Amino acid sequence: MADLSISVRQVGDVAVLLPAGFINAHTVRDFEDALEKLVQDGRYVILLNCKDLNYISSAGLGAIMGLIETVREHEGDILLSNLQENVFAIFDTLGFTQLYRVFGDEEQAMAEAIPGRKG
Amino acid sequence: MDHAQFRLIIPSQTRYLNLVTGLAKRASLVAGLDDAAAAKVSIAVDEAVTNVILHAYGGEGEHSVELELRFTEQALEIHIWHSGLGIRGDQLVLPDPKEYIKHPRKGGLGLLLMSRFMDEVQFKADEVSGLNECCLIKKIS
Repeated sequence: MADLSISVRQVGDVAVLLPAGFINAHTVRDFEDALEKLVQDGRYVILLNCKDLNYISSAGLGAIMGLIETVREHEGDILLSNLQENVFAIFDTLGFTQLYRVFGDEEQAMAEAIPGRKG
Repeated sequence: MDHAQFRLIIPSQTRYLNLVTGLAKRASLVAGLDDAAAAKVSIAVDEAVTNVILHAYGGEGEHSVELELRFTEQALEIHIWHSGLGIRGDQLVLPDPKEYIKHPRKGGLGLLLMSRFMDEVQFKADEVSGLNECCLIKKIS
């Protein structure tokens, strides 16, 4: 099994990116490429559904940080959902939960990202 | 299991990070830490070894990184040795998370995670061997 696999699907205006596995200095380039491709395609509202993300190091956090200003300049955002306990601990320890909106699950995130959407 | 220890030597390549962090997590559980603490040790070791590979060795993959795990009754110690560029503890400046959030940028978070997730982080240089060391200590509560 690869250390990291990434799938992307579009739900309305929201690009849902699902990283599965481990994001570290070895795999971060793939993660960065996936994020950058979304931004290049003009998909500025991005939800990172982390239900299958076992682990993220500072390399992965840096990839997210590197794009947050760009997406917000285009009235988009990067949302987070389904964080496993250890992944949440990393974001929270560094204060990133103040910078990003974190949701319990994808449905909650969608309801926030797409006003008027139910469930 | 008093003062047990063992060593692992890996090439300075990021493809082995997952192997090392998996080992660190398992070692933490063996030492008596809970799942949450073991995950934090795992991240700290990832950051330390990544620093060695990317910064001490400048991304060159033909060097070695040596890890030693020491189990004592009080703590799990992880010693990481390398022959690349060393840093001293007094050279370290940890980023302020609040300032970081106001002015986001890439990099600079690894040392902060190490310091937050471990009880002690030490950087040393051994003048005899010429090796540099990063020592991570997690106390067993």
